[in-house]
Amino acid sequence: MFFHIVLERNMQLHPRHFGRNLRENLVAKLMKDVEGTCSGQHGFVVAITGIENIGKGLIRDGTGFVSFPVKYQCVVFRPFKGEILEAVVTMVNKMGFFAEAGPVQIFVSNHLIPDDMEFQSGDMPNYTTSDGSVKIQKDSEVRLKIIGTRVDATEIFCIGTIKDDFLGVINDPATA
Amino acid sequence: MSEKGGKGFSLPTGKAVKSSLKSTPSTKDASLKGKDDSSTKSKKGRKVQFDSEGLHEPKSNFSSKFDNPAAASGKDWGKGGKGDKVGNGRKKEPQPLELKIEQELPQSAKCLMDCEAADILQGIQEQMILLSKDPTIKIPVSFDKGLQYAKRTSHYTNPQSVRKVLETLTKYGVSDGEISVIANVCPETTDEVFALVPSLKTTRSVLSQPLKEVLSELTKLKQST
Repeated sequence: MFFHIVLERNMQLHPRHFGRNLRENLVAKLMKDVEGTCSGQHGFVVAITGIENIGKGLIRDGTGFVSFPVKYQCVVFRPFKGEILEAVVTMVNKMGFFAEAGPVQIFVSNHLIPDDMEFQSGDMPNYTTSDGSVKIQKDSEVRLKIIGTRVDATEIFCIGTIKDDFLGVINDPATA
Repeated sequence: MSEKGGKGFSLPTGKAVKSSLKSTPSTKDASLKGKDDSSTKSKKGRKVQFDSEGLHEPKSNFSSKFDNPAAASGKDWGKGGKGDKVGNGRKKEPQPLELKIEQELPQSAKCLMDCEAADILQGIQEQMILLSKDPTIKIPVSFDKGLQYAKRTSHYTNPQSVRKVLETLTKYGVSDGEISVIANVCPETTDEVFALVPSLKTTRSVLSQPLKEVLSELTKLKQST
């Protein structure tokens, strides 16, 4: 889910950026450095929404760079274990399927797909119930529950399940 | 904010720090390789699982708070192959997990419902279009994806009134995170809410009636589409 949060970062700025536009330069650099990154604690930094406060700069010995402590507000996206998400299926194979919720990738193993759904191979691999009423294929929207998360420097990866009450396909592109 | 960060750093044990230092170079390689493979999703998926042990270690640099859940999830991954075990683990998990939303993030963090996020991001995107004349600033992929997702999952047009309706639940001890989940999944019945947010089950007897009223209010606010 999305969060609004205040974060702090020490920004190092080269002296050539000083002058009247120092603040603008600092903010531009902050956006470039921070947006799109992700961490385990905060998740993806989706966008900076405002600057709270820029502290006094401190000259770094020997380099001339000045570091400014910057407090900024931003919107972050972080999945939690136990959270319910709506995700779009991106790929289906016999191991299960991959889905995407915002910047986050989610894998749902075939063990976590209801037992009455069978894998069907072909041009459009899918999971279908025996009576054919429910079908999960690429671009289907599913509601799933996150049961595990893992974060590295550039992305967040989750394991999800649809084997529970009120989970599963919410919108089938084939019938829509 | 700053003291929170400080906590994060002081908590990891010496061992954790050391191991993360050692593993850092190799994990960097691994994540880079993972990126190269991104054209084929299946490969990426496999790679990710394969590397998971090494990869979740460096997180102790960012936050020790995340360390435990990460280790736990690492175990889940290992079990991934044997489905029944995951099934067992899953049954126990959700209840404590749902509660952690508040604990894992700094207090200053405010949960946003998807519809609120969609509003904010939409506003930023309009600014971005102005900024994008400057070629040095490029809009990150995660922003577009985040916006797309928020738009797709926001079921309500007017976030303020949704927030108002749901806020009546806070006096029954429903947390901000739980409120956001309810707003995001847009449930139709109280049974659905209790199934999806198991942490609410403890107060089910008190909560059922007000929740029912809230849900009927929410259906009125739902987008006509």
